[in-house]
Amino acid sequence: MGDTMTNAAPLLQADQVTVRFGGLTAVDGVSATFHTGELIGIIGPNGAGKTTFFNAISGVQPLTSGSLSVLGQRLNGRAPHAFSHAGIARSFQTPRIFADMTVADNVRFGLQFAGRRREAPWLLRDETSILALIGLQSLAALPGAAITPSQQRLLEIGMALATRPRLLLLDEVAAGLTEAEVEAMALLIRRLRDELDLCVVWIEHAVSTLLRHVERVLVLHQGRKIADDTPAAVIRHAEVIEAYLGDEMTEVAP
Amino acid sequence: MKHWRDSGRDWLILLALAGWLLALPAYASEFVVSLALTCVMYAALSSSWALFCGATRYLSLATAAFFGVGAYVTALGLEHLSWPLLIALGATAAAALAALMGAAVLHLRGTYFAVLTFGMTELIRHAITYGEKQIAGTVGRVLTTVPEPGTVYLTVLAIAVLALASSIIVRCSRFGLALAGIGADEQRAQTLGVNTRRVKIAGFALTAAFAGATGAAMAVRWTYIDPHTAFNPFIGFQTVLIALIGGAGTLWGPLIAAVVFSLLSETLRLQLPQLYMMVLGLMLILCVLYLPGGLASVRWATVKSWVTR
Repeated sequence: MGDTMTNAAPLLQADQVTVRFGGLTAVDGVSATFHTGELIGIIGPNGAGKTTFFNAISGVQPLTSGSLSVLGQRLNGRAPHAFSHAGIARSFQTPRIFADMTVADNVRFGLQFAGRRREAPWLLRDETSILALIGLQSLAALPGAAITPSQQRLLEIGMALATRPRLLLLDEVAAGLTEAEVEAMALLIRRLRDELDLCVVWIEHAVSTLLRHVERVLVLHQGRKIADDTPAAVIRHAEVIEAYLGDEMTEVAP
Repeated sequence: MKHWRDSGRDWLILLALAGWLLALPAYASEFVVSLALTCVMYAALSSSWALFCGATRYLSLATAAFFGVGAYVTALGLEHLSWPLLIALGATAAAALAALMGAAVLHLRGTYFAVLTFGMTELIRHAITYGEKQIAGTVGRVLTTVPEPGTVYLTVLAIAVLALASSIIVRCSRFGLALAGIGADEQRAQTLGVNTRRVKIAGFALTAAFAGATGAAMAVRWTYIDPHTAFNPFIGFQTVLIALIGGAGTLWGPLIAAVVFSLLSETLRLQLPQLYMMVLGLMLILCVLYLPGGLASVRWATVKSWVTR
């Protein structure tokens, strides 16, 4: 990360984000700053609060306390569509595509709403170019329900891209994919970041996959952020090793 | 979203139907025209109901409230206002009520939404009964200067044609796409940029406007209006049943079912009222079991698959 990037206004600023469900604190005072052009991973053991944190920063889950701002504009308390209009797009862990609509119409949906008011990057100019980008152009006319789960994962990303986002949140997009598919997915994500100048935040349960591809990692444990550093530094972090009981981390370390 | 150029056939069918129904009073008997009026009324109510409720899968039982509000606008204003103004006012009053009601309950889904819309309808009916008794000192109103039956028929026909035309337009529009997205996965639609609250309130108000206009026009068919006839819950239930049996997600389904129902009700209800209700119930059961898409989803292939099975 260069100096220019750290000095620029942050794309997303999360301050002391807290989400409570009754007595359970799912996300506990997490602060984070994301800048344009970053590729960031979020890891953490099961129940660490990764998805809840994502739900909070995409507006799907209201905050109990804390604040969120995108390019200086405060967003907490607003409905999810306001987050989407501000340039935050997300995929869901279990693909939530519109099963009755065609693959092309699924992509067109985002273009018609959040994507409509923003200037279109050439790669995201229409549904055909977005389908080509995610490699589903041959399936355009099929209903969403008719494609395979791994194709639905790609379609989820295509739907998110159709909103022409600044910040792309990917929730376990590589889960259940074969090793070759995971590599292809990682290449696609890197390409999106490079060519669209997006900030991509990627949650993955499989730590080793993620650490190979991202440049910065946030580690959540029991709702709190315990580390925020480069992959190389994170795997030597004492608290992180303890959270994972060592096993997965030693696997990753050379 | 359907493209504009794909809706040509729908426009042609609508135009042909409207033309035929327009010419009907010129040669048909009074009985046939009265039967046609019932058909057209239920076509207007259930098509406009399906426009919002079919697409978003919000099951509203408030049609009777909107219909009744329209009827009361006519009852109160018939002697002071012109006929077109009354109809427009009935539509506006119902749409305003729907916007208020929607703002209060459209964040709820499924059973909660259905029960609350029904509860609110009853609340309005009782409030009007109470208000009439306390303020006007009456239980009902007699309508004296009613327009000719021909005017009522043409008005309701115009409302039905407008309801179907709106459905065709909405299906080709961003608004219709937003409604379909809400029906499929409301939160996903929100994360893709749809202001679902605004879209739902607008859609609910649009549905209500047609029901209110229909109520305003139909009120003069009864020369005596009281809250029990104007807010008859049966109107609301029948509208929903017709739309579901015809196919709430389809354009022509509610119209087809409205015709079937009106014919059934006119032929059976007077002679054999129990049989009429039984036929209604049986049709609903059969449709839910074998035709989840409604009557309009039947294709030759569907029929063939029944025969060859």
